[in-house]
Amino acid sequence: MLTRDRLGTFVAVLLGTAIVAATLVLLTSARPRLPDRFADLAVLVQSPAAANRPDAFAEPVPWPAGTAERLAGRLRAVPGVRAVVEDRPFYAQPVRSGRPVPGHTVGYGWSDVTGRLLDGSPPAGDRDVVVDRALGVPVGGTVTLLTASGPAPWRVTGHVGTAAVFVSGPVAARLSPGVRVLGVAGRPDPAAVRSVVGGDGTVLTGDRRAEVEPRADARTRWIGLQVLTATTALAGFAGVFLAASTSAFAVSQRRREIGLLRAVGATPRQVRAMLYRSALLVGAAASALGVGLGVLAAHLLAGRLVHAGIEPAGYTVRWWTWAPAAAFAAGPLVALLGTAAAARRASRIGPLEAMRAAEVEKRPMTRLRWLAGLAAAAAGTAAAVATAVASDVSDLAQYSMLGAMALVVAATLLAPVVIPALVGVLLRPVRGVLGMLVRESALTAVRRTASTAAPVLLTVAFAVFVTGTVQTSTAAYAARRAATVDAAAVLVPDGTPGLHDAAAGRATLRTQVYVAGTAVPALGSADLPPGTALAAPTGAGRVTVTYPDGVAETLRVTGPAPPETELVLPRASVRAHDPSALAPAAFLPARPAVTAPGAEVVDAATYAARTDTEDDRLVWTFTLLLLAVSAGAGALAVANTLLMSARQRIGDYRVLRLSGATPGQVALTAALESALVVAIGSLLGIGTALLALIGSAQSLAAQSGRAVPVVVPWPLVACVVAGCLVVAVAAGALPARAARG
Amino acid sequence: MTVTLRDVRMIYGTGTRQVRALDDVTVDFPPGAFHAVMGPSGSGKSTLLHCAAGLERPTAGAVSVGGTDLGGLNETALTRLRRDRIGFVFQAFNLVSSLSAAQNVALPLRLAGHRPTPERVAGALDAVGLADRAGHRPSELSGGQQQRVAIARALITAPAVVFADEPTGALDNRSSRQVLHLLRRLADEHRQTIVMVTHDPVAAAVADRVLMLADGRLVDEVADLDAVAIAARVTELELAC
Ligand SMILES: Nc1ncnc2c1ncn2[C@@H]1O[C@H](COP(=O)(O)OP(=O)(O)OP(=O)(O)O)[C@@H](O)[C@H]1O
Ligand SMILES: [Mg+2]
Repeated sequence: MLTRDRLGTFVAVLLGTAIVAATLVLLTSARPRLPDRFADLAVLVQSPAAANRPDAFAEPVPWPAGTAERLAGRLRAVPGVRAVVEDRPFYAQPVRSGRPVPGHTVGYGWSDVTGRLLDGSPPAGDRDVVVDRALGVPVGGTVTLLTASGPAPWRVTGHVGTAAVFVSGPVAARLSPGVRVLGVAGRPDPAAVRSVVGGDGTVLTGDRRAEVEPRADARTRWIGLQVLTATTALAGFAGVFLAASTSAFAVSQRRREIGLLRAVGATPRQVRAMLYRSALLVGAAASALGVGLGVLAAHLLAGRLVHAGIEPAGYTVRWWTWAPAAAFAAGPLVALLGTAAAARRASRIGPLEAMRAAEVEKRPMTRLRWLAGLAAAAAGTAAAVATAVASDVSDLAQYSMLGAMALVVAATLLAPVVIPALVGVLLRPVRGVLGMLVRESALTAVRRTASTAAPVLLTVAFAVFVTGTVQTSTAAYAARRAATVDAAAVLVPDGTPGLHDAAAGRATLRTQVYVAGTAVPALGSADLPPGTALAAPTGAGRVTVTYPDGVAETLRVTGPAPPETELVLPRASVRAHDPSALAPAAFLPARPAVTAPGAEVVDAATYAARTDTEDDRLVWTFTLLLLAVSAGAGALAVANTLLMSARQRIGDYRVLRLSGATPGQVALTAALESALVVAIGSLLGIGTALLALIGSAQSLAAQSGRAVPVVVPWPLVACVVAGCLVVAVAAGALPARAARG
Repeated sequence: MTVTLRDVRMIYGTGTRQVRALDDVTVDFPPGAFHAVMGPSGSGKSTLLHCAAGLERPTAGAVSVGGTDLGGLNETALTRLRRDRIGFVFQAFNLVSSLSAAQNVALPLRLAGHRPTPERVAGALDAVGLADRAGHRPSELSGGQQQRVAIARALITAPAVVFADEPTGALDNRSSRQVLHLLRRLADEHRQTIVMVTHDPVAAAVADRVLMLADGRLVDEVADLDAVAIAARVTELELAC
């Protein structure tokens, strides 16, 4: 029964489960990965963890060189231990044809236990290096390496097959004095290793060895988790929303048939059960197909995610049966939730509805609809207020997302209140009989107009909201940065993670130190005398910092740190204790004539507006991913509801033809009706999203103490609206052609 | 089974658009009899049938079927009573368009949780002369054929009371005679109560008793008259209005 109307719910559930399945599979595949160089080591010992919150992704507190040496010595005495390797990563980037090789930014000390030579010999001298064979430098040749001190020529003694460089042990000990991981080769008893290490570190074996992965990778994965979770939530919401609007639609189209069933003996409960059963069946069928598509999409997407930097290198799809199983279960659930309101309404249909010639909407707004709409609006406003007072950025994102969802629901439910006025305004320029036809059909079935406009509303609202949120906050940060820059020219990294000393010998360095076991980002400023520091809260007293080489020093605090900075240290101290520290930028009084490799000169405004920092780029990639998901789902849903309503309108179009309208006039009427629906949905969607955006802009303004203008990428939004329009006009005009006869 | 209406009033709409479709109608339909309801268009015949069959709740007054007061039943109980004891043939739009004739006929039994045998469904269709159309959908049937499928559906549960709103309105003479004989037999042989609305004096003449309705009021009641006499009464009534 009601077979023709299953399509709408089917499409909604299919989309929802496909996206949920893909994101769940991708989510569960994201797990820590053991770095390749440790693959052959059975036991790893890691230095003590920092006291930060887990989501700060702080590297553990390093052992100073002496401590690491002594611990390594103790470990070598454990029976079964063949060798102990001190892991010493540092910044090193080869230069090829005058440009730093992108992504090739790390060097290690050579060890026969962890490295495998393809040819040549291990590095022995001070300027010896083993490089990736793919660089194309022959053994015996010279390669220019960038390190934190600047470019220098190195002699290639051998080749490996990974994108990293390897230097001799003493050189590595100079470039990376602190140690965070000791690798144990051989087959020692883990318990014996633990008793030797004691409280000096953490002993990791088996799968737990993956915990030594770089914290930056863990952070990338965590950001990926946030985005994929948001995508899943959005997909689930869109699925329920679309299933709800299409099944509400199906019920209003089937009034007469349901009335007849009631007349021949179906109880209200049976009518409800019939709709629920149908929803379950459709949900299960759509779910099966959706999960299949989603898993397929996950495989295709995995590579793209790594490419876009959302997941760390080496990320692959892994199989956990529960992920597709959960997505499969979500399908029928989405269908049931979506059908609930419509089923309730259907069971209220009286037996005499069968006699009503046409669906005449008595009241477009029922009391329940008012209540639900106002409740959703209140929830949206509450979330907007919560957004406006949120101090934490991740809270801000969550509240504003929830707020936008609630406002979209509210706008859809309350749309019938404003639709008559909107129709009047929008159709004012359209004169003549066609305008009248379109106006009357939209006004006599305000609810139908509202439910056909719903998917457009959802799509446009999310496009405006998601892209607007990102651009507004990016613009706010850029404005803040611009206000603090006072320089004729700015030297910025070009293809490198930061500026080395040869490019900017006095520029402020960025590093991370530990204060009382907690990792704290710190700057190294050339303006600070030795033995002093600027610290955020106190501005006086003393502070003991542990540098990245594990050495501690007590400094006199001579003043407060500048805004958004926690700790400023003398540049010389930072350089001495962190040989890999780089400078994010250097502010120059005049444009320099020449620059070293890995640096470029821009003017102050360009520097402030730059959004190509790694995080901004990631966030924008996520945004476009979310937008693609919601706009794709939205376009299909728009086509779906319009095709459903067109079937109902075919009778009217035929009557039009019989009363003398030309085929062109009928097609134009259909196109006008579709365009009207898209216009209504877009206006309501934009209005809703702007409301939510103003909430988050206020929050940002409160945080930064500076006015934050709402920025929306209108060309992008225009593309989304145009896409909806094309799909809608096609979906409306195609069935109208069928009415030719 | 007796259907009783006591002071039944039905008012549609409010204010100036208020219509009094039934105006304090009191009437009994005793079992085993064939009743016809006649009257000018808009006189409240369909409304009377809907109220008596529990399809619509009257504004005021009481309706009881076999001693059960319909006003005291909730929607589900009312539906069950309708399904088990009452058959109804609407004036139009009788069939579920996505189901075949046979499926439409089987619908009340299926909704009651029974699984009718194909023979039983075929028998019901055969009784209205449509044995060969079981697999057709409503859109493939003529108006009269659709009406007969609806009659077959009303009869398949062997209801104690059958209400039919102009069941012969769209039929030719022969089919119309068939349907009338069918209804007559139900009253005579199975002691079912038949209430039929009609504009056709010939159809009304088959009934035991003819009720005349005008402006929502019962204005006349005649028994055992022939078609000519009934036609004369109707003309009189229409002139009086
Ligand atoms: N749902 C309704 N809403 C408003 N008025 C109605 C409704 N149904 C019936 N009426 C009005 O009630 C009166 C009686 O209608 P009813 O359908 O009972 O007439 P009828 O005698 O069956 O007419 P016909 O012979 O044309 O079928 C009419 O004036 C009609 O307009
Ligand atoms: Mg009638």
